[in-house]
Amino acid sequence: MSEDFENQLRRALRPVEPPSGFAERVVAALPERAPRVATVAVLPPSPRVAAWRRLTAPAALAASLTLAILLGQHMGAERAQREQQAGLAARRELMEALRVTSRKLDLAYQAVNRPAPEPQPPDPTRGEDHS
Amino acid sequence: MNRVALYLAVLCCAVPALAQGVNPSRGQLKLPEFASLADKASESVTVTLDSQLLGLACRFLDKNDPQEASAQKLCTSLTGIYVRQYTFESDYAYPKADIDGIRRQLSAPGWSQVVGARSKKDQTDVDVYVLIDQGKARSLAIISSEPREFAIVNIIGNIDLEQLHDLEGKFGVPDLQIETGKQAATGKPAEKSPAPKK
Repeated sequence: MSEDFENQLRRALRPVEPPSGFAERVVAALPERAPRVATVAVLPPSPRVAAWRRLTAPAALAASLTLAILLGQHMGAERAQREQQAGLAARRELMEALRVTSRKLDLAYQAVNRPAPEPQPPDPTRGEDHS
Repeated sequence: MNRVALYLAVLCCAVPALAQGVNPSRGQLKLPEFASLADKASESVTVTLDSQLLGLACRFLDKNDPQEASAQKLCTSLTGIYVRQYTFESDYAYPKADIDGIRRQLSAPGWSQVVGARSKKDQTDVDVYVLIDQGKARSLAIISSEPREFAIVNIIGNIDLEQLHDLEGKFGVPDLQIETGKQAATGKPAEKSPAPKK
């Protein structure tokens, strides 16, 4: 009995080939999947933003140039001021050096030109002139 | 290895020889620091003007001022001015050894003493030296020592003593009659000269 049941079950569950065109029909019956498309709204920029964008690069360039010129002028003025201070200090030193030199040469002059001590007159009490 | 040693030897000999040929600081005295003296001194003058600073100073001199105009004429041919002057409250507060050290430098070849004045009365010593090179005065040195003051002056460059004379009456520079190199080269002290025009 059990064998009969098993045979019946085998027969019932045996693999059956699908009819021809079955797979194509199944695929054709499937609903078509719509492709995903991202929708991005591209709005035209406002005139103010567009103008700003157009002017950004030249404005940055102009600002950099102005800054460089101002910085250069400032540094040049500072250098000229430093040079002037150094020059005036050097001039003071030079004049002081020449003053000291002249004073010392004057001292040498006085020493060289000091009148020689006059010869002592002969002492009449010492000896007699025998000539 | 031997070749490298030979190159090094040649280089060692050549560099000092070249340096002697072109020596812009010839005539420049090695002045001591005098750092301790500056603290002790009641007054001090320290002037260190190398050729660069001297050139700068010359540019800032006023041509309309007769004193500065004369200085400008003089300083264009100079390459250095070095002055150390110290004044003290007490007698001989400075070490004479330092001054003697500088005098020793002036005994080197080329230097000639044109004035050597000693005054026992004022206790003042003044020495004027000139460095003569190829018949021209290249450097001037003055060493002056008094009881309460000593000064060292070193002027380097093509010293035109005529121009130094031009300062006469302006800075009080007297006529020392040291205008020719020949006279200085003899090492004889200067002769007496007429009173300065002041």
